[in-house]
Amino acid sequence: MDDIKPNETLDARGLSCPMPLLKTKKAIEKLASGQILEILGTDPGTANDLPKWAKRSGHDFLGEKTDEGFNRYFLRKK
Amino acid sequence: MSNNFLSIKLKEGYRFLFHQQWPDMVGGVLLGLLSILIVMWSRPWGIVGGMRNWADWIFYGVGIIPEAPQHPLFFSSSIMDIGLLLGAFAAALMAKEFAVRPSPKLEIVKGFGGGILMGVGSSLAMGCNVGAFYTTLINLSANGFTMMAGLIVGAYIGLRYLLWELENFPAPPTAMVKPKQNVNAFDLKAVQPYAGGAVLLGMLIAAYIYNRYDYTEIGGLLLFGMFFGIVLQRCRFCFVRAFRDPFMTGDAAVVKAVVVSILIGTAGVAIMKWNGFRPASLYVVPTFGWGSLLGGMIFGIGMVIAGGCGSGTLWRAAEGHLKLWVALISFAFTNSLMNVFLVSTGLKAKLGLAVFLPDVFGWQGALGVIALVLFLWYFVLSWNEETNKFTVGI
Repeated sequence: MDDIKPNETLDARGLSCPMPLLKTKKAIEKLASGQILEILGTDPGTANDLPKWAKRSGHDFLGEKTDEGFNRYFLRKK
Repeated sequence: MSNNFLSIKLKEGYRFLFHQQWPDMVGGVLLGLLSILIVMWSRPWGIVGGMRNWADWIFYGVGIIPEAPQHPLFFSSSIMDIGLLLGAFAAALMAKEFAVRPSPKLEIVKGFGGGILMGVGSSLAMGCNVGAFYTTLINLSANGFTMMAGLIVGAYIGLRYLLWELENFPAPPTAMVKPKQNVNAFDLKAVQPYAGGAVLLGMLIAAYIYNRYDYTEIGGLLLFGMFFGIVLQRCRFCFVRAFRDPFMTGDAAVVKAVVVSILIGTAGVAIMKWNGFRPASLYVVPTFGWGSLLGGMIFGIGMVIAGGCGSGTLWRAAEGHLKLWVALISFAFTNSLMNVFLVSTGLKAKLGLAVFLPDVFGWQGALGVIALVLFLWYFVLSWNEETNKFTVGI
């Protein structure tokens, strides 16, 4: 997980459901296929919502990492 | 050796309950069962009455409401809400998921506005997602259907607003959380489970004290609220999702959980009403008509903007989201004021009819109609899950 190099970072800290997911949906559209989006979030729901949505939409959920007071999530665009 | 075994089993149990989110369907089944048990114990599950009671006290204090409302510690609906808040708070602590979560300004404004809309909608419908949809259907009341129709339309409009906002208010910087400098600081997360245990223990003691003073029923409702709160928080069970997600991501998992939950609850309460254990008129709410149609629509818009309905606002507030505290306050105050308005203008009696479904369709027919409508709802949305026909792209 430590050697993932994101192409773009979305700061969704302080946002609660459904805003982190909606912003992710919008941000990932700007990336090219295969590029990686990093999402910073503080809502505990995001840990479940992102992998579930990635599965539905075909993107690759690479995993999550705990940081000081927030989490980092990584998605690879399909 | 046996001591060691016990501590291993306790740790396993703790991990099982608090290390991961419980599945939606587990939430649906447990809420359905709790909805039956609470009627057997005392009364159906509701949310808005308690929130209004708290705001009524403030308005009574400043003279807007002439008569003193019921004491919040002895009023059934208020006690259920207090139990829910504390139960969800304890569950979040046990799972180390509690934190004071500040939000950007725009989110606070949305919490405030969404709360106002929910306050207006819930006064017209005489309840929220729980009291005017979930619990009324379980009690075989027709207003659950009109509320459902209103909520579907409202959730769609609310989602349209969120998408519009994303296009027109490009993300302001949301760097709210600064990395902590002091690494040696006392780790609050580590003590959270103990604090959660203390909250649960405190609630058991409170129920015991109620019992000692012959308020056993109220003490029991506190514990029911606690169980509702724990289940809601651990499942992150959100009635908003059932109405919003089919439009937003296409996901219908929560729709299925809500359908199963209502069917379980309906079976139990129908048995009690048919046998005469509980009056047929219990929770048959007189808003079948424009009250719950319009109220449901306004409530639906509000809940999507605020990011929580009645129950969802309570458990998220308990988890520390400041946006939902703002929503809770504006929801309660608006509902209280609107209720004063509806009563004083006589409109409260004209919101709609009180229709007990077995009076119209017979008992078998009523159960059949509820099952059919819920099945159709799920069938259409699971078809949408495959085809995304109703899902709104960005």
